[in-house]
Amino acid sequence: MSYIPGQPMTAVAQRIEIQKLRQGDHLILGFSIGGGIDQDPGQNPFSEDKTDKGIYVTRITPGGPADVAGLVMGDKILQVNGWDMTMVTHDQARKRLTKKKEDVVRLLVTRKSLEKAVKQSMSH
Amino acid sequence: MPVDKFTNMEEKLWILEDLNMMYIRQIALSLQDSDLQKKIDHEIRMRDGACKLLAACSQRDQALEAAKSLQTCSTRILAYMSELQRMKEAQVMQKVTRRSSDAGPMDDRMPCKGKVAISDLRIPLMWKDTEYFKNKGELHRCAVFCLLQLGGEIFDTDMVIVDRTLTDICFDNAIVFSDASPGFELRVELYSCCSEDDYSAGSTPRKLASKLSSSLGRSSGKKLRASMEPGPVSPVSNGGASPLLLPVPSVPGPKYHLLAHTTLTLSHVQDSFRTHDLTISGNEECSYWLPLYGSMCCRLAAQPHCMTQKMMSGCLKVKQCGADLQSWTKVYAVLKGTSLFCYHRQEDVEANVEPAFTIGINKETRIRAAEKDPQSKVQNICISNQYGGEEVTHTLTTDSREDTHRWMEAFWQHFYDMSQWKQCCDDLMKIELPSLRKPAPATPKQGSLYHEMVIESSDDLSSSVSDILARRLQELELRSQLGTSPTWMSLFEENSPKIVGRPRPCTSRLSGHSPCTPHRLPRSPVSPHRCAQMGLLSSDVSLTSDSDSHCSTSLCSHHYGWPEPSSNFPILSSSPSRLRPRTLSLDAKLSTLRGRGLGGGGVGGGGGNCHCSCQPPSSSLLGPSPISSRSPRLQHSTQTTLSCSSSTSSSSSSSNSECSHSPESSEGVPFSRPSPVRRSLRNLRARLDPRNWLQSQV
Repeated sequence: MSYIPGQPMTAVAQRIEIQKLRQGDHLILGFSIGGGIDQDPGQNPFSEDKTDKGIYVTRITPGGPADVAGLVMGDKILQVNGWDMTMVTHDQARKRLTKKKEDVVRLLVTRKSLEKAVKQSMSH
Repeated sequence: MPVDKFTNMEEKLWILEDLNMMYIRQIALSLQDSDLQKKIDHEIRMRDGACKLLAACSQRDQALEAAKSLQTCSTRILAYMSELQRMKEAQVMQKVTRRSSDAGPMDDRMPCKGKVAISDLRIPLMWKDTEYFKNKGELHRCAVFCLLQLGGEIFDTDMVIVDRTLTDICFDNAIVFSDASPGFELRVELYSCCSEDDYSAGSTPRKLASKLSSSLGRSSGKKLRASMEPGPVSPVSNGGASPLLLPVPSVPGPKYHLLAHTTLTLSHVQDSFRTHDLTISGNEECSYWLPLYGSMCCRLAAQPHCMTQKMMSGCLKVKQCGADLQSWTKVYAVLKGTSLFCYHRQEDVEANVEPAFTIGINKETRIRAAEKDPQSKVQNICISNQYGGEEVTHTLTTDSREDTHRWMEAFWQHFYDMSQWKQCCDDLMKIELPSLRKPAPATPKQGSLYHEMVIESSDDLSSSVSDILARRLQELELRSQLGTSPTWMSLFEENSPKIVGRPRPCTSRLSGHSPCTPHRLPRSPVSPHRCAQMGLLSSDVSLTSDSDSHCSTSLCSHHYGWPEPSSNFPILSSSPSRLRPRTLSLDAKLSTLRGRGLGGGGVGGGGGNCHCSCQPPSSSLLGPSPISSRSPRLQHSTQTTLSCSSSTSSSSSSSNSECSHSPESSEGVPFSRPSPVRRSLRNLRARLDPRNWLQSQV
C-alpha cells in the first residue's frame, strides 16, 4: 500500500457490503473512522505509511453491522457506494457513510493481510 | 403571418394525432392485445392530465414536474406504439413464413429472462472556473432528470435542480426492470430544462424579447432568446427510430431537452460501481446546457431467473461415489443457480432444511449421458466437476427415459442460460427493492452556521474523551514496554535546562497573569518548579506561547517531538499573532470549548491533543474537568492552551478584565466573558481542530 500523492495507486481490495441498522431515528453502521485530508496523518496508528491521509477503520463495535459484514479494524476504505474515499476530508467521509436515504453501503476496503494472502497464493 | 402558420400547423398536428390514435387502436384490436391497448390509453390520459396541469400551474416547480411527467408519458406512448407495430409486423411475417416454408424443428432455445437493476446514478459536472469567480450573478439553474428505458419499460427518476454549487448530479432512485433478456439494451437519457424564472415559452412578443436579451448579459441573453423562440414543434426524440407518429402537442411551459444519453448492455453489468461514457447532445449555446464531465457512474446489477428461481425439480437417484455399484440414494433434487440441491425429501425444500448434499453446476461442469447400465433401462447422467485439482463425478439416474430426457434438457437449458448471461451467473448479485421511504423531514433552517452542522447526538463528550484516553493509555503502555518514552517525558526531569531556561523570559508575564487569575494558584504554583504537574506545565507552556510566537514554536516543537510537529506549528505560529486581525469572538469561543471539553490545560499548546497527549498525567488532566463545570473562570486558564495564534485572542479574551496586563489585548476584544457554550459547539470545534486526529462514529 505504498502511496505517492498524485500517482495512481494499486491495492488488493475487498468488497464489503454493510446493511445499516436502524436504531430509532438513526442508521448506524457500527464502526468508527479516522483520517482524512484535513487530519494529521502521522497520528494514524493503522496506516503503514505515515503520510497516508486515507480513511481508516479505527474501531468496530462487536456484533454490529460492520462486524457482521466482515470489516476489520485497520482497514483502509477506498470507496463507498462508488464515491472515492482516498481524497476526502474527514467530514465528507463521515457524510458519505451516513446518508439517511441509503440502507446499504458497499465499501471497497484494503488491508495488508489481503496483499499477503495474494502473494502467498501466487507463490504456490 | 407567422402566427397564423403556427396555429394552422398546430391544428394539423392535432388532426394527425387523432388519426394516429385511431390507427393504433385498429392495430391493437387486430392483434387482440388488450393489455397494450390499455396501457396506451392510460398513458394518453396521463399525458392529457399533465398538459392541463402544465397550463394551469403557476409555480415553477410544479411546472417542471408536470413537464417531466409529460415527457415520460410521451416516451412511454411512443414505446408502446412501437411495440404494437413490431407485434403487428411479427404477426404478418409469421403468416408469411408459415405459408412459404414448413418450419422444421428449429433449435430455438431462448435464454431465461432476468431482473436488471440500476441504482446510484451519478453524473459528474465540470464547471469552468469562470462560473465561480467571475459570475457574480444569480445561479443559473437547470432541472434535470433521467429517463431509463429497457424493452417496453420506461422509468423516470426524480427531478434534481442543478446549479453551479453542485459537483455531481445524483439520482438516488433504484430502478428495477423485471423481465429483461440477456441481450437487453438499457437506454439512459438525461433530460434537462433551464429553470430561470422569467421565461414562458412562446408568448413573449419579439421586440420585448430582443430588448430583454440585449439588456441582459450576453450569455444569459442568448439563452433567454433561445428559450423564448417559439420553435417548430418537433417530434419527441425516441432514440433515432423513425419519428413514428405522434408529435408532442406544444404546450406552454418548460420543455425538457435531451442533454446526454448512453446505452448499457450485459457487458456493463457488474456487482460494483462502474463508470460509463455519455454521449452529449447539445452545445454551450443551448439554454439547457450543463457542463457534463462526460461520464456516468452507476451500479448495474442483473439477476437472471436461472439464478433465483427453481429451474427444474424432481426425484432422482444418486449413486454414492466410492460405494458399491448397486447403492442408490433417492433424493429430491432442485436445480437453481449454480448448484443442484439434493434434499432427502420434498418437504425439506419448503421447510428450508439444509440439503443433504449439493452438486455444483457451473460453467466448468461437464454433464453427459453415460452408457446404458446393463441392469437399468435408462441412461445415467454423469456430472463432473473440478474441485481443486481433482475431478469429482456424480452419477444420477431417474425412473424413466422421459425423466432423464427432461433432466438433460433442463441441464442444457441451464448451461445455455449461463452462457448467455455470462458474468451474472458467477454469483448472485444483490438487488434491493426500492423501498418506499418517506422523505426525511426537512429541518427548519435556523440561520447560523453552527446550527447547520450535523452532530451525532450519540457523541457523548465524556465517553469519547475517556474512550480516547483509554486508547492512548494502551498505546502508551505499549510504547513504554518498548522502552521509548515520549519526548515530553523529559519535561519532568528536573535538571533539564532546556525547559526551565526558555520560558524564563516569560515568567514576568506569567507572574503578571497570576494575580489576576487567582484560581490558578492552587493548581499551579507559579514557580520555576514547573515540573510539578503536567497539567500545569502545559498550561505554562501555552501561556508562554501567548507572548512570543517564536518562543512557543521552539518550545512546542521541542517538547512534543512528534513525527511532524513542524507541520502543525508553522501554520499556527507563522502568523504574527499580534498583527493579524482575527475573528476574536469565534476563536475565543473555540478556545473556551477546547479548554473545557478536553479537561483542562493538559491538552498542551500546539503539539499535543487529547489523542496523543500523555497518559500518566491523565489524572491531572481529568482533574480540572470537573472543575470546568464549576465556573467559567476556568476557561480563562485553560483556553490559553490552544494554538499560538488563537492564544493571543484567548489570552486577550481571558484578560478581559486584565486588559492592562497583556499587550495583545490591544486587539480590542469586544466580546464579553464567554457564556457557557453548548456542548455541541465544543464537540464541533474539537472535532474540526486539525491537531486532533479525529475519529467519528458512523
